[in-house]
Amino acid sequence: MIKHRIFGIIYDIIILYISFMKKLFLILLFLVCYQNFAQNKTIAAGEKLVYTASYNMSGILTDIAQVKMETSEVKTSKNTLLRLKCTATTYTKWDNFFKIRDLYESYVSVNYLTPYLYKRDISEGGYYKFMQYKYNHKTKLVQSLKRKKKKDGQTWDENKSVKIGASTKDIVSTLYNIRNLDIHKAKPGDQSDFTVLFDNKETIITVKYLNKETISTQIGSKECYKLSIAVKGSDILKGSNSNLLWLTADDNKIPVYAKFKIPVGNGELKIVSASGLKH
Amino acid sequence: MKKLLITLGFISAILATILAVTPLSNLAIFPIIAGFICGIVIVFLSKKEKQKPKTIQYIFLLVIISLSITIYKGVFTTLEVGDTEQLEERDEENLEDSKEILEGLDIDEDL
Repeated sequence: MIKHRIFGIIYDIIILYISFMKKLFLILLFLVCYQNFAQNKTIAAGEKLVYTASYNMSGILTDIAQVKMETSEVKTSKNTLLRLKCTATTYTKWDNFFKIRDLYESYVSVNYLTPYLYKRDISEGGYYKFMQYKYNHKTKLVQSLKRKKKKDGQTWDENKSVKIGASTKDIVSTLYNIRNLDIHKAKPGDQSDFTVLFDNKETIITVKYLNKETISTQIGSKECYKLSIAVKGSDILKGSNSNLLWLTADDNKIPVYAKFKIPVGNGELKIVSASGLKH
Repeated sequence: MKKLLITLGFISAILATILAVTPLSNLAIFPIIAGFICGIVIVFLSKKEKQKPKTIQYIFLLVIISLSITIYKGVFTTLEVGDTEQLEERDEENLEDSKEILEGLDIDEDL
C-alpha cells in the first residue's frame, strides 16, 4: 500500500517535471524565435544606396530627384548607435521651379534597429519644416518637437508628448525594419503590420509579400521579393497592390525598385548604385 | 473644319514650344505630334481647295523648333544634382545636435 503511494508520488513528480520542462522549452523556443526575428541581420554601417525618383506624367517618366539612403555608426559616451539617413535632392533643371532639399534621419540600436531619435528636416520650394522625436521606450512616450518658419523668416516651436505603442517606429527605421524581415520564410500572401509615427500621428502600414520576380536594374538583373505596401485609413498611397516594393532576394534585401501611386499621379524609385553592403 | 484645325494646330505648336523650354521637355512630344497631324491635315485640305497653305508654315516651324529643343535636351542634358552645401550644413548641424541629445537619452541596446 505504502509502496503504491510512493510510486504514485514519484509518478506525479515526473509528470509535473515533464510538463514544466515542456513549458520552459516552449518559452525558450519562443524567445529564440523572437530574438531571431527582431535581430538586425541585414543592415551594417557604411551602406550607401543611391536612387533616381521619377514622376510619371501621361506615360512619360521625368526624373525629378536623387534619393540617397546611407548608414553610419554614431558613438556616444555609453552606446554605439546606427544612423540611418535619407536625403532627397532635386536635379538642377528643377531647382528653379521647385527646389527640394530633404533630410530624414533616425538613430537606432545596432542590434534590433529600435529608434531612439528621429529628425525630419525638410525644405521644399520655400517651405521649411523640422520634426524631432525623442523616444522613451520604457514609458512609451515620444517627446515631439515641430519647428516651422514664418513668412518673416523667424521660427516657431511646438513641443508635444505623444503616447506610442510598443512597436511604433518612425518612417525611416520602418523602411529598414522591412528589409530586416525574414521574407525567405514567408509565403505569398503573408502580411505584416507596422505602426509608423508621422506628423505626431500613428499610422498602420501593411506590408504584403506577393511573389518572387526577377527584374533588370542598373546594378544588374536581380531576383527580388515583390511586396505591396498599403496605408490603413489614409489616402496618401492610393489603390490596392499599386504601391510596390522590390527587395533583392538575398541577405542584403536591397530595395532596388519601387512604384507608388499618389493622389496626383504615380512615380518610381530606381536604384542607381549600392555600396558598403553587409553581405 | 479648316479653321478649327488651324486653331488646334497653333495651340499645340505653341504649347509644344513652351513645354520644350521647361524641364518638362519630355512632355512636349504630345503637342508636337498633335501639331504635326493638324498641319498635315491642313495641307491636304488646302490642296483639295487649291489654296496656298500659308499658316501651315508657322505651325511646322514651331513644331520643328520644339522637336529640335526636345531632342537636344534628351541627348545632351545629363542629370546633375544642384548645390547641396546648405543640405550638408544642416546634416552636420543635425549630427552634432543629435549626439548631444543621445547623450541624455536612456538607451537600452538590448531592446
